[in-house]
Amino acid sequence: MELPPIRIENVTVRYDERDVLKDVNITLDERRIGIIGANGAGKSTLSRLLNGLVLPTVGTVRIGELSTKEHAKQIRREVGFVFQNPANQIIMPIVSEDIAFGLKNLGLPKNERQLRVSTTLSELGISHLSDRESHTLSGGEQQMVALASVLAMRPKTVVFDEPTTMLDLRNRLGFQREIAKLEQRAIVITHDLEILEDFERVLVVTNGQVSFDGLPQAAIDHYRAWSHA
Amino acid sequence: MSAAHNASYLSRIKPGWKFGSLLVLSIGLYLISSWQVLLVAFILSVALLASARVDLKQLRAPLISIVIILGVVFILLGIQTNWLNAVSSVLRLLTMCLLAYSVSLSTRFSEMLELFQQVASPIRVVGGNPDQVALALSMTIRFIPELKKVYNEVREAQHARGLANNPLAVTVPLVIRSLKIADETAEALDARGYDSAPANH
Repeated sequence: MELPPIRIENVTVRYDERDVLKDVNITLDERRIGIIGANGAGKSTLSRLLNGLVLPTVGTVRIGELSTKEHAKQIRREVGFVFQNPANQIIMPIVSEDIAFGLKNLGLPKNERQLRVSTTLSELGISHLSDRESHTLSGGEQQMVALASVLAMRPKTVVFDEPTTMLDLRNRLGFQREIAKLEQRAIVITHDLEILEDFERVLVVTNGQVSFDGLPQAAIDHYRAWSHA
Repeated sequence: MSAAHNASYLSRIKPGWKFGSLLVLSIGLYLISSWQVLLVAFILSVALLASARVDLKQLRAPLISIVIILGVVFILLGIQTNWLNAVSSVLRLLTMCLLAYSVSLSTRFSEMLELFQQVASPIRVVGGNPDQVALALSMTIRFIPELKKVYNEVREAQHARGLANNPLAVTVPLVIRSLKIADETAEALDARGYDSAPANH
């Protein structure tokens, strides 16, 4: 799978006169990228820039040649987003219908939607959840369904916003394995530093800026040092 | 209450036909006054429900409620009019309920929504968007259990603080958390490519 680079160019995001992100310049072209940092540092805003959920006040974010300001709809196809709380991401009352929801938004015909739903559920090993009512799922199952709903749309990049925060150890390890198996680019915002061990690149965000950008262990050491200071 | 999965012959009939027939049969039942004919209709509705291969566990709670309500109706009508009339009315209502369950339990929620979108399509003439109404409907059904969960959490938390009987102490955090859920869900709709403007499907 060819993965278009993500370019964040001179980006500042301002809310209520406050710069949440300040003059960020990075290009992301690895397959496994982690983003860590303290609460309120700007990680979530940075992640939301990647599929246009947040638009820069200044600067540009490009996925390949597409700018998030001008091509929001196409970018939603390219970059999927898994939220921290899957319960609020699942829109429809039945699991299979929820996964089909995004596909309907893509304009796919009904038979194609059905095929993609069953294929995605099967690939993630959760076909047995297909007919379950969404509110009866456990936290781990909800997170898998949220992932399925994103993967069914066949994005090239998947952004995970603290995906394991609400999971127990078993589900966390399971979810970590699923992320490792993805052929898509995965950008993971997390406080769970163990997830990042095999990643190619980790960014540390502090006070709205990328204060470190490098290999996982060096990034974790930098973050720990910053936290203890 | 709707079918997640049902492999019966009823599930293969188009939802429009099923709901249309339900409407016609319900009106028809009101034109029948003979209790013997209504008894036959009731037996047929039981047979229909049994043949629909629905999950009977789903029916237990609503049927108990209906039987209690109809029990009250039966007694009141029996006292106010006559007992034969009470039997006819209860048989009519029970038959309608069983027919409605047969239809709803053999129809997927998404099929009901599609039917709703078709039926509501004339509202486009006055600037309405049936897709949006259908989405709002499905999200209401989806989020009622979530809000109930939030309500219980808030109530437990306030109970621990000795404020369980204070409506304001429960209402304020409930509203705040509901707004947060609404905010996150709106973001999720956006992320999943939902476009409220065009009706392209």
